[in-house]
Amino acid sequence: MTTIDFERVSFTYPDSSAPVLDEATLCIPEGSFVLVTGHTGAGKSTFIRAINGLVPHFTGGEYSGSVTLRDETIRNTLDSAPRDLADLVAFVPQDPSAAFVVDRVEDEIAYSLENLGVDRTVMRRRVEETLDALNIEALRDRSVRTLSGGERQRVAIAAALAPGPRVLLLDEPTSQLDPQGAEDVLAALQRLVHDLGITVVLAEHRLERVAGFVDLAVGLRSGMPVVVGDPARVLELLKSGPPVARLGRLLGWSPPPLTIRDARRVASTLNLTARPPDEGVPGASMVEATGLRAGYGRRVVLNGIDVSIAEGEIVALMGRNGAGKTTLLRCLCGLHPPESGLIEALGSAPDPGRNVALCPQRPESLLFADSVSGEVEATLSAGASRATVATSLEALGIAGWRDRHPRDLSAGQRLLVAIAATAATGAPLLLLDEPTRGLDHESKARLVAFLRSWAQGGRAVMLATHDVELAAEVATRVVMIAAGDVIAQGPPADVLGDSPVFAPQMARVFGPGWLTPEQVAVAAS
Amino acid sequence: MHQGAWLLWALSGGLVAITTTNPFYLLPLLAVAWVVHAACARPGPQARSFRIFLIFGALTICTRTALVLFLPDIQFGNVVEAALEGLRLAVLLTVFGAYNTVSDPFGVLRLSPRRWHEPALAASLALSIAPRTIEAVTTVREAQRMRGIEVRRFRSLTALAVPVLETGMEEAVVLAESMDARGHGRGRRTRYRPERWGWQATIVSVACVLAVGVAGSALFADDASLAMSAFPIVWPEVSPVMLLAIVALSAPAWLPLGSPTRKSR
Repeated sequence: MTTIDFERVSFTYPDSSAPVLDEATLCIPEGSFVLVTGHTGAGKSTFIRAINGLVPHFTGGEYSGSVTLRDETIRNTLDSAPRDLADLVAFVPQDPSAAFVVDRVEDEIAYSLENLGVDRTVMRRRVEETLDALNIEALRDRSVRTLSGGERQRVAIAAALAPGPRVLLLDEPTSQLDPQGAEDVLAALQRLVHDLGITVVLAEHRLERVAGFVDLAVGLRSGMPVVVGDPARVLELLKSGPPVARLGRLLGWSPPPLTIRDARRVASTLNLTARPPDEGVPGASMVEATGLRAGYGRRVVLNGIDVSIAEGEIVALMGRNGAGKTTLLRCLCGLHPPESGLIEALGSAPDPGRNVALCPQRPESLLFADSVSGEVEATLSAGASRATVATSLEALGIAGWRDRHPRDLSAGQRLLVAIAATAATGAPLLLLDEPTRGLDHESKARLVAFLRSWAQGGRAVMLATHDVELAAEVATRVVMIAAGDVIAQGPPADVLGDSPVFAPQMARVFGPGWLTPEQVAVAAS
Repeated sequence: MHQGAWLLWALSGGLVAITTTNPFYLLPLLAVAWVVHAACARPGPQARSFRIFLIFGALTICTRTALVLFLPDIQFGNVVEAALEGLRLAVLLTVFGAYNTVSDPFGVLRLSPRRWHEPALAASLALSIAPRTIEAVTTVREAQRMRGIEVRRFRSLTALAVPVLETGMEEAVVLAESMDARGHGRGRRTRYRPERWGWQATIVSVACVLAVGVAGSALFADDASLAMSAFPIVWPEVSPVMLLAIVALSAPAWLPLGSPTRKSR
């Protein structure tokens, strides 16, 4: 039996005045599947790291209270360093590619076992079992640097699981995965909980993905006590939850449902009037790509596809991990020369920073100024844009952060700054690659409002995303690609509506055509 | 192929290179390194780092030659001598560059004795920094280009350096955390599935021993063909045996290497 006990744990980072954790007291019983939830910056990563002692051993800072792991032995994270707990607690960080130690997948999985001094014969068996558990046998000889995002995530989980820990900690494990990949990883985790009695603790923003799996939630609110308990109750307290919960709140259902199944039960009583109307007709064409073929060396990624984007459109580009979304964006903005095919942006070739701009997947790769406003100024002074710092920041609702250092912001907040800095070029076509990593509900609402106003000003957006709920909410058109071909495109209600993998929650509950809780609430009243 | 054989290959190539300043030996050795890189480079970003070693090699020749120009009353012979020494260093770098792209930096780690594990790990991680940094520089340059900042002028250098260094720092912390959380440094260690020494490794080792033997005996016999005379400038002689020994170092390029095989446990 491994239970995790927090006893009045308080923690303040060095160079910070406000505590992230304030007298947190709670107990996580063995075999729980725990969701750690809360706003960006509320301390989810800190909470998770406190369980295996990375906080405070690696962070420094002011720490009081104790975290105790009760097993056959009783160990506490102040006396035991993370490495001493490695046989009991495993940890998968947010960006697994930075956490890989060796190069080959099989060796990476064996790494913890070698450190723990596991016998060679046992080691071989454990590695094989772990390869099977995560279904990555085919990857064993590959270099971790050549894997796709989803593969990396599964290898990282396998590497953590190999020594047979009793507690598994994961920081946003599905943020880089497509819907099916996320489902597979979560199902694998649930199997571990059910079959082996492992305790899984994960932080996640995509509540629609995890809400159906977890049986306990830890809610963190900055400056307020931690709440622990039934996921539905905790999410209700935090005023967050997946779209079905949002619908429940809009319609006054108490308690709000948490899963599709719960929602269906209540929804059968609902009388929906009219289907939501289709979006308006888009304006003049801005970008035309015809017969686009592109790849890397001999590997063909885009197989002669045609894509167009018109004024006023917000196009969501969707598809599996590795389907070619990033390559298409890179072609459209002139970063990756296609092998054949024609790309015209406003009648000329794509000119980065002038007629088209791409915001990269990792905001850290462009932020360099020492304040948020300085970041936007850097863009403005490099180009001929007529925007100002104030308007650029207000467009995203982040004017309040103008004097803050980008490094002090959370991952989601940095992303908004990176988008502001890219959009400030004034290029009328804005391309976004996965703009939802680390974004909480509030930041996502800001992003949605920004994208809508951007498109209304005679401009256009194309965003590659795995987030079906975001696509349902904001996209005017969805382009679905698979194996380098466009396999479907059209209004989100048509493309996403009846897809078993990509359907948003509202379509799953009320049938194809329904996209957001707000639409349903209007039709129900 | 076994990582030990690769290590031997790199050491042999390096040893042969430093025994000679004869361009008719050095240039074939350069070609050998190139061929082995082209035939055996592992897929992934580190394959691109070979170019960096070539560039550094070219820079070495230039700086080594340029240094001579500061000497009082220089003769053309001095310049030739310096250029050849530069070439020798450049070939050494190229051999190392090829080794970097064909070998698994962590494979060497697996060879090191247990008590040397810590320094070997530090060395392997240091070796993997070059390709990681190249990746980061490319990503950052592209991201900045998208907002109209061309990282060429000195003024815009911070736009490149800050994100590269900062992501590097953040990644280093993540790596250190991950290693600790996975039990690194607990003292007791076992080793997973050592590599098998295949017949390819034997052939390459024989070729390496041959090459070093020939170069070494030429060195002890004061073979005139090893150095090129610069005063007066005379084209050096070429010993066919020595040339053959150098060509033998290209053995890995012609052998069917496949992926490394492991012992069953």
